[in-house]
Amino acid sequence: MAQPQLIRARSDVPFYVAFGILGSTYVFLIIAMLIADLRFTTGPHLLQALSSPEIRYAIKLSLISCTITTILSLWVGVPLGYLLSRFQFPGKVAVDAILDIPIVLPPLVIGLSLLILFQTPFFRALDTLFPITYAVPSVILAQFSVACAFAVRTMRITFDQINPRGEQVALTLGCSRSQAFWMVVLPEARRGILTAATLAWARSLGEFGPILIFSGATRMRTEVLSTTVFLELSVGNIEAAVAVSLLMIAAAVIVLTLLRVFGSERTFGKAFEP
Amino acid sequence: MLRLFHSGRINGAWLAFLGSIVVLGLLIAMLAWPAGSEPSKTPLLVYCAAGLMTSVTAIAKEYEAESGVPIHLNFGGSQTLLAEFEINKRGDLYLPADNSYLGMARKKDLIAEVIPLASMNVMLAVKKGNPKGIKVLDDLLKEGVKLSQTNPDAAAVGKLTREKMEKLGRWEELKKHTTVFKGTVNDVAADIKIGSVDAGFVWDVFLIQYPDLEKIPIPELDGVSAKMSVAVLKSSANATAALRFARYLSARDKGLKEFERNGFKPLSGDTWTGTPELRLMSGAMLRPAIEETIIAFEQREGCRVTRVYNGCGILVAQMKSGQHPDAYFACDSTFMTQVSDLFLDSTEISTNQLVIIVKKGNPRNIHGLKDLGQANLKIGVGHEQQCALGALTKNMLETAGRYNVVAKNVKVQSPTGDMLVNQLRTGSLDAVIAYASNMTNNKEELEAIGIDIDCATATQPYAVGKESGNAQLALRLLDAIKSGASKERFVKNGFHWQGAPK
Repeated sequence: MAQPQLIRARSDVPFYVAFGILGSTYVFLIIAMLIADLRFTTGPHLLQALSSPEIRYAIKLSLISCTITTILSLWVGVPLGYLLSRFQFPGKVAVDAILDIPIVLPPLVIGLSLLILFQTPFFRALDTLFPITYAVPSVILAQFSVACAFAVRTMRITFDQINPRGEQVALTLGCSRSQAFWMVVLPEARRGILTAATLAWARSLGEFGPILIFSGATRMRTEVLSTTVFLELSVGNIEAAVAVSLLMIAAAVIVLTLLRVFGSERTFGKAFEP
Repeated sequence: MLRLFHSGRINGAWLAFLGSIVVLGLLIAMLAWPAGSEPSKTPLLVYCAAGLMTSVTAIAKEYEAESGVPIHLNFGGSQTLLAEFEINKRGDLYLPADNSYLGMARKKDLIAEVIPLASMNVMLAVKKGNPKGIKVLDDLLKEGVKLSQTNPDAAAVGKLTREKMEKLGRWEELKKHTTVFKGTVNDVAADIKIGSVDAGFVWDVFLIQYPDLEKIPIPELDGVSAKMSVAVLKSSANATAALRFARYLSARDKGLKEFERNGFKPLSGDTWTGTPELRLMSGAMLRPAIEETIIAFEQREGCRVTRVYNGCGILVAQMKSGQHPDAYFACDSTFMTQVSDLFLDSTEISTNQLVIIVKKGNPRNIHGLKDLGQANLKIGVGHEQQCALGALTKNMLETAGRYNVVAKNVKVQSPTGDMLVNQLRTGSLDAVIAYASNMTNNKEELEAIGIDIDCATATQPYAVGKESGNAQLALRLLDAIKSGASKERFVKNGFHWQGAPK
């Protein structure tokens, strides 16, 4: 009995060390970038950035638009992910491939495609009734176009991993599909929903290319934080660009942490229990 | 009914879903809140190169406060912006970092008026303090000196640098020693500032935006400069308001001052007035051909054009006595030469043929100059000193050797051809020598007899006053006069078109 334990103890050390080194390179890289950023900006720069009404507007628009996008992405991502996971239907392979497009394409192409789409007669008419291009809704649409794909992918994997047995049992016990979904499947998918929300939110916050093209970079109108970084860089204000980047990092860390805390089993788990 | 309630409480998943609807509603309300206070005036959408953000933002703020017209500045790379409005066909003004983009926009028929703003030079820049001790172009080729450039095919700075260095035969070695080619000039400046390279070619105006940069003066880059302008988009639904802001941007006492503060070299701009007034002196014969064009121009520009139509001799006399118009449209180049010191280079727009005009049916049987000597013929000609028509007529008759023969029949000398035509129509004259264009409105009553002599042609040049405070506006009027629509009006009125339509 002693022999194998000894061998295990010996062989575990290099394993942990190797994994630790490989894993930590990435963590160190991120921390090193953060430190370098901090060295390129100062407290006054951050305060100056925060006191500018344009940047305050960008913060507000970023946070609100990302949250709206996240909710919309979940509304679409949950049902679509469920359908793709549970059912076979003709053209499923094609739908799957289509859903990959926003993930694969360079973001600029998404923006360009949206811009072109809104030149077609139907969307042009829609645009005159309800201004989208170069207005705030375009920011949300641009974010949604990309973020939703991530939500769908995540939800599909989540539903794939949930054993359909629970659902089937609920159905045999007299539940309708809808009841089985709301009372059995969805509560089980909670963690997946949280991951999807996190991904969609984070993806939206970093969204830049489509917004620049489809929404423009108009200050106090369609300027989100990623646009601010671009604009400040364009005029050589690297300090301000870095300051805004740090604000983005702070905002992201706060929101994602909050999401995880509220979404954790302890706080939310009870409400979700069937 | 769905069984949403389970052991007395609402299903958690449903609760979360309903909660998300409420949150969404609240967020949308937060976004929509400030939109209610949108100002009533139609905003202008300006596509502006990101590098010009500092200057243009300041000018736009000032203009908004002064006029109440909201200016929406949409920033981006010059090329990206061009692609944007090419696709969505909306917006009012385009302000790229370099005129070459305007050339592309022009080719795609996307822009109308173009107003010059300022210029900037290419410079060799290093980090403040010049740590690598770079002094001459050759230092860039040294071992250990890292050079960053913009891609010559993507950015104007790179293009200008390559053109000049190719001319000097230095491009290939520079290219070989370039560590990195970047997409925009801002990236190059940032490279130098951060320290990832030692030197780069950027605009000299960056010295103000990037206080960490230092200019290394090298003779190779002397005079290598780019000009920038603002253009009105063809898609603009509000061209008058767009032009007004464009004039503000380009006014020497408004926008150009701000550009100068940011290191640009301002080009000649007009002085700012909300509704500028342009004084145009023009030969009377041109009135029917240009009047409609001028009215359309006034409406589009939101300006007033004060026209002084008269015989060119009289106009020249007025100018010599101290009246200096913003622009002068002469009946013949001889009258432009007399005041050429007051004007910039002139542009020939049209020509007009001298003809003998008689009543329909030609009752006196006149078929050429030779018939003008017959007895009891009442002839009218232009006044020899007061108008180009008279001077040209005299010159033409002398060349033909018929001046004396005709002179004895001349009953009246008038300062304009239109007056002569009127006298002919009332019957007090039998024949007049005037421009073909003078009779276009009375073709049913009158008949023209051609004069087959080379010097029987008048050429009409247009020129802008050297001291004009509205020189740019006057040049835009010239563009309007050179336009295709204007050409049609000239031809309809009996002129021959000289100026190639834009």
